[in-house]
Amino acid sequence: MAEIGELIEITNTYFCLDCGVCTGSCPVARVFTDFSPRQIIERCLYEIEDLSDENIWSCLTCAQCSVRCPANIDFPEFIRLIRDEAHSKGYKGTLTHNGMLHTIWSLQTMDISQNRTFWVGDGKISEKGDVFYFVGCRPYFDVIFRDINAGSVENCKNILKILNTSGIEPVVSNDERCCGHDALWNGDEETFKKLAEINIEIIRASGAKKVVFSCPEGYLTFKEFYPRYFGDLGFEPVHIIDLLREKIADGALELSEFPEVVTYHDPCRLGRLSGIFEPPRELIRSIPGIELREMPRSKENGVCCGTSGWINCSSCSKEIQVERLAEASATGASTLVTACPKCQIHFRCAKSAFDLDIEIMDLYDLISEHLK
Amino acid sequence: MAKELVSILGIDQDRLRLEWVSSAEGGRFAELATEFTEQIRKLGPSKLKQAA
Repeated sequence: MAEIGELIEITNTYFCLDCGVCTGSCPVARVFTDFSPRQIIERCLYEIEDLSDENIWSCLTCAQCSVRCPANIDFPEFIRLIRDEAHSKGYKGTLTHNGMLHTIWSLQTMDISQNRTFWVGDGKISEKGDVFYFVGCRPYFDVIFRDINAGSVENCKNILKILNTSGIEPVVSNDERCCGHDALWNGDEETFKKLAEINIEIIRASGAKKVVFSCPEGYLTFKEFYPRYFGDLGFEPVHIIDLLREKIADGALELSEFPEVVTYHDPCRLGRLSGIFEPPRELIRSIPGIELREMPRSKENGVCCGTSGWINCSSCSKEIQVERLAEASATGASTLVTACPKCQIHFRCAKSAFDLDIEIMDLYDLISEHLK
Repeated sequence: MAKELVSILGIDQDRLRLEWVSSAEGGRFAELATEFTEQIRKLGPSKLKQAA
């Protein structure tokens, strides 16, 4: 483990110009005025930052600051590395849902035999094959967030339906583990590595050459972080968006009419961190009759859904979410479309807590419901 | 909900038990704890172990 001084070297944080664009851009700083990325960096540079500082867990790692930083400082990565260090000293954020999600992914580092494919039904899947569908956490979310009608496995069925309709019978495995995204961003590198090792082994054993993701967190983790820790994976992470666009373009999938006004929320892991802004919009527009209206804060400026990594969900998170949903309503849209299970969970939570009148829908549910 | 989650994780549901005992029911608490301990003892060690 590196000391903060070393982390400054690794991430070039000493290039900080002290301009404050990060803090001015930060959705947390707008609500919690004590939170300031600029000041965290300043305290680190003056060697007065302490690993017990609770502020390091408030960062959403949404990268709104880093895309605007004139010195190109990757603040989320800097925070992640500080969390690594803090975690090794026994510090952690305030775990949401009493740490239930943390327990679930920790148990997945063990030699367990899960029953996570219970949702498959009459969908067609294979034991071995070229394409692996990495389902992600939804089988667990389905149970945990049933009360707010979010995170449902219906979405997995829809993805499988899309794949099957495109002539693909993917491998779906009971042995799949959590991708480790949240462990990684919680500073728990050791757990992340264990989960990743198991996933890589299982996917390699399936013979898959392509791994399809619908969850942006899984995609980003496999695309960016697995190779960083494990080198060449021997398979290619593919986002379902690319596959969908291809299938719609060559006429394999046809969509039926939906005369509604919708708006689109960019998930940070899909947009700013993976650079995928236009493809989801193209997909929405490929539904006949639909009108896509943009919110003022969209694409590179799309605001975060308010909480990440199952830590530090607070009144700040709720304020960000309610403001975002109001922004969505103000476009005149009846539905906010998003493309990340967690964005949907967080917004539906705020919707049910504040009784708001807007529908929140996953992009792939929307597409699947309008497949001819 | 906890039982459902445990079953997706592939852990025997009999290893989890939820009971509501008020602070005035000391006897019942002891009884349940003893009973559950016995139940777990019968089930033997869990198959959970570190993945190789």
